[in-house]
Amino acid sequence: MGEIGHWSPGAKAGFAALITVIVVAAVFPFYYAIASSFRTGSDLFEPSLALAFDPANYRSVFAEQPFGRNILNSVIVATAVVGLSLGLGLTAAYALARVAFRGRGLMLMCILAVSMFPQLAVLSGMFELIRWLGLYNQLPGLILANMMLTLPFTVWVLTTFMREMPRELEDAAYVDGATPLQVIVHVFLPLMMPAMAATGLLAFIVAWNEFLFALTFTLSNEQRTVPVAIALITGASQFELPWGNVMAASVIVTVPLVLLVLVFQRRIVAGLAAGAVKG
Amino acid sequence: MASITMNAVAKRFGRTTVLHGIDMDVADGEFVVFVGPSGCGKSTLLRLIAGLDEITSGTMSIGGERVNDLPPKARGIAMVFQSYALYPHMTAYRNMAFGMRLEKAAPGEIDARVRAAAEMLELTPLLDRLPRALSGGQRQRVAIGRAIVREPRVLLFDEPLSNLDASLRGQMRVEIARLHERLGNTMVYVTHDQVEAMTLADRIVVLNAGRVEQVGTPLELYHRPANRFVAGFIGAPPMNFLDIEMRQGEAGLLDGRRLRLAAPAGAALIGVRPEDLIPAEDGVLKGRIALVEELGETHLIHVDLGPATVIAKAQGASQVVRGEILSLAPAPARCHFFDAEGARLGAGAPLPATSA
Repeated sequence: MGEIGHWSPGAKAGFAALITVIVVAAVFPFYYAIASSFRTGSDLFEPSLALAFDPANYRSVFAEQPFGRNILNSVIVATAVVGLSLGLGLTAAYALARVAFRGRGLMLMCILAVSMFPQLAVLSGMFELIRWLGLYNQLPGLILANMMLTLPFTVWVLTTFMREMPRELEDAAYVDGATPLQVIVHVFLPLMMPAMAATGLLAFIVAWNEFLFALTFTLSNEQRTVPVAIALITGASQFELPWGNVMAASVIVTVPLVLLVLVFQRRIVAGLAAGAVKG
Repeated sequence: MASITMNAVAKRFGRTTVLHGIDMDVADGEFVVFVGPSGCGKSTLLRLIAGLDEITSGTMSIGGERVNDLPPKARGIAMVFQSYALYPHMTAYRNMAFGMRLEKAAPGEIDARVRAAAEMLELTPLLDRLPRALSGGQRQRVAIGRAIVREPRVLLFDEPLSNLDASLRGQMRVEIARLHERLGNTMVYVTHDQVEAMTLADRIVVLNAGRVEQVGTPLELYHRPANRFVAGFIGAPPMNFLDIEMRQGEAGLLDGRRLRLAAPAGAALIGVRPEDLIPAEDGVLKGRIALVEELGETHLIHVDLGPATVIAKAQGASQVVRGEILSLAPAPARCHFFDAEGARLGAGAPLPATSA
């Protein structure tokens, strides 16, 4: 393998074609969503790829259902899930990576096993649990259910990072008089920021996009999160498919996610490049 | 008062016994150095004093108070680590202030103590730097600063100089000696470098395989090693050992050559330091020179005696070359004799007088 500059023209062209195919396959659906979201009526079904700028769909998304409320719900649920996952994940990672206790390996395997169950398998059990806790049709119920999806990988990733922290750093903090919680907060947390940002972002995306629990555990429009709200958007009549509205709503909820990824990606890379962990 | 008293202190990790019942006293204000080969338990013993590991059995007291179950911060100790263990995300100043901040000390008090420590260690211009912007020696000084800011009763050092290059190590060694003079608190220092041990210690503790081999002043260990292990461990190049047998109250080599030395009964091994092997016309240790090492002020001659190779050390440049035959004689008053188990026989030469 040499640098691309040394490749033959044929290889270069092939490589460029491959990249083009990948980029088009990745970006085209999103482009199509944006393009469709700006069209109305029968325009939607014209075989054209040109962009128009008619914001009518965006207005009607908010007019025809409590879409602002749905976005707020999604923000609350996703933020709470990220906060709880990182808090529990960090403290669990400390115990699993730093404290020797009987059954540590078994516990790690159990945590991993939880993430292997398909959502459908636990759906009815989870439904009973949420009803029993009195959280049906409430956001805390969704937060609880989503934690099942985010906690396993949060704990695993943070445990892996925690293991890499030098032992002497922890010892030094104990000699300085820190309690275990102070060691976590003042010493490990700042050093694990890149890992926290990465896992927090993943947890946010999972919670933001989660559909099945949100559909099952909510009843009223006011408690729904965005993915469910979008799926349940109905037209003026039973026979109308409000394609434009659906696309506009999808774009609205995707753009913040893209921005979030871009912002945190820079943070993650900056954190790693600064060699935060290396003494 | 910050003496340290250990009574039958033992440490086991699972089924492995790392320390077998250590008894030791460290006086208030004393500088004690633990030396030994790697895996001898010296760092573990230091961590037991610090409270970073739990004692399996026995008692440990600091300043007359039993500390077996006290956490590090309640023991009045501070520690300097081999890897410095500075908090990478804090400036030198915040690294040094961290312990006092956790104690919720008054900000003025913290500032005054950090600045005083920085002044003493010549760190004042570096206080705003992060550890990654400091050189190895500077990091080590910040680590020492962090340890002394809280004015501990006992300062612990875990191989603090082993990550530094040779010239810096010599310089930091002098700084640590000066620090002990100025602060006057009890210091326990772990190293595998015997030059550090010899130069810094009031008393040296030689550890081997989880047991104390000998405790004594540097010169006691050098001139009157209690056993073969200590004799071989202290001193560089190491002491020469030759198996001997007693024939009519006189020591002789196993191949029949007579040493013409008075030896105590039961001696099975003779030890002679390289500087005590002197070239002599009629020397009994005769062999071919395998190697001559010129060190400038001294030189080392490796002589192949057949059953063993011995090293002789002498001043100045050597007058002999490799391949020649050389006869050596041990200085009679400066030989060490050991029995078959390796324990010392006889009192040996009197210690040289020092001004201290």
